[in-house]
Amino acid sequence: MMAGWVSLCFVLASVAYAGASVAYFLFIGNGSERASTWALRLVGAAALLHIAFLIGDSERHVQLGDVRQMFTVGSLVIVLGHLIAQQRYGRLAVLGAFVTPVALLMFLAAGLGHSVPDVPEDVRSALLPAHVFVNVLGVAAFTLAFAVATAYLIQEHLLRRRQLSGLFTRLPPLDVLDSLGLKLLLIGFPLFTIGTVSGAIWAVQLPTRISPTQFLGLLGWCVFAAVLLLRVAAGWQGRRAAIGTLLGFACALAVVVGYALRAKTGAM
Amino acid sequence: VPPQHLLLVGLSHHTAPLSVRERLAFPSAEVPQVLGDVLKRVGLAEAMLVSTCNRVEMYASAESPQEAVRGLREYFGALAHQEDLASHLYEHTGAAVARHAFRVASSLDSLVVGEPQILGQVKDAFTLASEAGTMGVVLGRCMNRAFAVAKRVRSETGIAAGAVSVSSIAVDLARSIFGELTGRRVVLVGAGEMSEGAAKALAQQGTLLSVVNRNQERARTVALACGGEARDWDQLSQELTLADVVITSTASPRYVITRDLMQGVIKARRHRPLFLIDIAVPRDVDPRVENMDNVFLFDIDDLEQVASQNIAARKREAEQAERIVEAEVLAFEEWQRSLDLTPTLVALRERVRSVVHGELQRTLPRLKSLSEAERKSLDVMCDAMVNKLLHRPLTELKKSREEPDGSALLESVRRLFELAEVQTTPESAEPAEPAKPANPALLPTRRTSGEHT
Repeated sequence: MMAGWVSLCFVLASVAYAGASVAYFLFIGNGSERASTWALRLVGAAALLHIAFLIGDSERHVQLGDVRQMFTVGSLVIVLGHLIAQQRYGRLAVLGAFVTPVALLMFLAAGLGHSVPDVPEDVRSALLPAHVFVNVLGVAAFTLAFAVATAYLIQEHLLRRRQLSGLFTRLPPLDVLDSLGLKLLLIGFPLFTIGTVSGAIWAVQLPTRISPTQFLGLLGWCVFAAVLLLRVAAGWQGRRAAIGTLLGFACALAVVVGYALRAKTGAM
Repeated sequence: VPPQHLLLVGLSHHTAPLSVRERLAFPSAEVPQVLGDVLKRVGLAEAMLVSTCNRVEMYASAESPQEAVRGLREYFGALAHQEDLASHLYEHTGAAVARHAFRVASSLDSLVVGEPQILGQVKDAFTLASEAGTMGVVLGRCMNRAFAVAKRVRSETGIAAGAVSVSSIAVDLARSIFGELTGRRVVLVGAGEMSEGAAKALAQQGTLLSVVNRNQERARTVALACGGEARDWDQLSQELTLADVVITSTASPRYVITRDLMQGVIKARRHRPLFLIDIAVPRDVDPRVENMDNVFLFDIDDLEQVASQNIAARKREAEQAERIVEAEVLAFEEWQRSLDLTPTLVALRERVRSVVHGELQRTLPRLKSLSEAERKSLDVMCDAMVNKLLHRPLTELKKSREEPDGSALLESVRRLFELAEVQTTPESAEPAEPAKPANPALLPTRRTSGEHT
């Protein structure tokens, strides 16, 4: 079992993330500066507790292949990534409303999942830790890209509907969202590619057939590849690129959920 | 220095048409001279003149505000050479002056509520008056509070949020699409006055401008005025391909930017976002263009709708601002009452003390048998009597400061103790310590004197 203080860190961090999510939604709703300040404070506190939990928990799970621990790392990367982006570009606080709940879900999945012998001994491989690690980083980048794309679509909708007060004034400019989305794809895609390739190499060594999770992972990779190609080669920008990003993220999220369920049931 | 009361005489866009306002407008170079002049002629203690295209107002303080208001009305009347000027002038005295100053500085009294220029103009007027030596403690305090109130209103309400002119709305919308505008390309199609204003506002953000117009001469003139380059009419589609923001305002009765033209342009632009502002009536841009990917089209109706939404939002925020102003006016009134109060407190104590000690001095020569120590005891006893007698009145007077009609009690005390000649000098605004007895060690302290003896 987890040590007392580690469990405490987990519970407090979860509560702080939940509180921050609520505060971010309040900020989206009414633009209250107080809500935004509190959201930032809560996320900061949650991230510190999160790091403490990671350190405490890693005493039991040293190897990188542990899905639970990867979820812990992944959600932390998502939160820190958002904080850094907010610092650099300003006016991105609103994105917290999309990013923080995703991070919270991953964090909860990590903490509440059974401490599984996640991968059977006979199929362990040296590739496995690298495979999980880069995939988690890739998913973290795609989560941020998803938040940015969602914000883009909302902002564009408001602009076309002439709803130019309230939320519209709290979201970043369209072009900033669009280019930030591209950057995040450019970071996430190579990681996801390495993850997918290493997964494929590992999978072909197994006697079992390709699982739905692996299929979705491959589909997600194809979607992201298509979006990136169209963006870079055909100059896709704006709405189409944002929708493509959402589709790719849906696939990536399905993979994550698949692994979370597997971690819980112990099934492949 | 006799007690000074605030007063104000002036006119603004609320009370006077431009034809009247321009007769009374003062160039800032003349203001110091006017201030010196008005101080002497009207008999003011302090004076400050705010003169903008929307208002001319003399803020002042004087011993007798009603007289000073009359004097200022005559002064303005003589300057404007206008018979019926009096009907355009308004006047305020006392706390109403502070309220007016706070509202003006906060831009609550402006033609466009929330516009930022007025605060700077009032600050300039304050500087001019300070340099001319016509700014004193009372008016100075009032104006400094006005600047603080304006700052509070700005930071605590959304009174200045949301653009209300076509030019600034165009800039705001362009920013919400492109973010930083430096280096973005703006194309002016046709060269009306309103589009020129919008182009200038965008140019201030560091955009590059080109002007496409059927009349080359006009294109060059506008390009020169806004710091851009003129282009031939047949370069229109090429310019549209390069542009980020397009402002159209031709007099053409048909669409100038048709869907067919735009389809070619869109292909060449490869999905780059394009912001079209059509301020022409009849419209220059086919409205179906709006449905194209990454093309955002706003016509004059859209812009006016944004403006009216923002104006309505500012009005809602103005109510909140008025509440801030009222709270600050109350605080200012309290400060003014404390100005009146302190000299009275000092004078009252001095008066009673001088009576008691006067009687003691007259009696002492007849009490020759008293030793030095006994004389001192008598001295101390007198001080204690003064303190005990005055404890309650002084406390009540201080308390009255927080009450709305507290000045009535102050007046009564002045009459009862013949303090009418007591002057409320701003310089003595600091609460004065009561006169110290010869040997403080022999006396209970002032605060406890009422309870002990």
